[in-house]
Amino acid sequence: MSGARLVFVLYLAVILVGIAYVVALGLMGR
Amino acid sequence: MSAREKEYGFLRANALSLAFGALFLITLAGQAVSGVADFNAQQVADGLEPVSLLDYVTSSSFGVDVMENWQSEYLQFFLYIFATVWLVQRGSSESKKPGEEGPESDREQKIGRHADEDSPTWARIGGLRTAVFARSLGLLMGTLFLLTWAASSVAGWAAYNSEQLGQREDPVSYVGYLGAADFWNRSFQNWQSEMLAVGSMAVFSVYLRQRGSPESKPVGAPHAVTGQTG
Repeated sequence: MSGARLVFVLYLAVILVGIAYVVALGLMGR
Repeated sequence: MSAREKEYGFLRANALSLAFGALFLITLAGQAVSGVADFNAQQVADGLEPVSLLDYVTSSSFGVDVMENWQSEYLQFFLYIFATVWLVQRGSSESKKPGEEGPESDREQKIGRHADEDSPTWARIGGLRTAVFARSLGLLMGTLFLLTWAASSVAGWAAYNSEQLGQREDPVSYVGYLGAADFWNRSFQNWQSEMLAVGSMAVFSVYLRQRGSPESKPVGAPHAVTGQTG
């Protein structure tokens, strides 16, 4: 199951980084 | 886990999520390339300078286009996960059987003393942890919906204001943008398509089959049978 755990964490990380990135773009007024 | 399952390597054992992860990156790149072309066509029409691909993918205009689609997908899954607890569609592979509506008993859900030996610890332990774990899929989807929707509002606000300034019009406050037609139009145009797609899937799977797909009933299953997958 450790392989699935890695993919799980990867997905969550990509989603959260994507959200933080877009919020940062918005707050910087770019 | 069967012996056949054990001999699967990492790629084959995670093929579904890895394939969609790769498709996500490819289509996101497609959005960036076509998005900058569309953006620049508008810039030129407005008598403004075109921007580079790098400028575009670091703009809130790109950000809001990405996030407004993400938020609607997580809203879709959040609603579907909760709605299918309580609502059934007779004959659908996506539905529980009529009569099984609701959260079901601890025995049926293998919770607390009804847990199996190999059940997750948080299913067995009881109390708050089990209560949270028992709703964790819906909670995560709901949280991601709220976060992505908030992100789309912040980026949408910045993109809207840069458009306003380009047209020599006054920028709006963040709260002002939350009441703006642009924000709600972006939200509703994504939501409506998700609701139609989910409803279609629920009812089309009553009468139609896809051989080998767990999203479908077995090809020979009667139309009236609910909640069977194969």
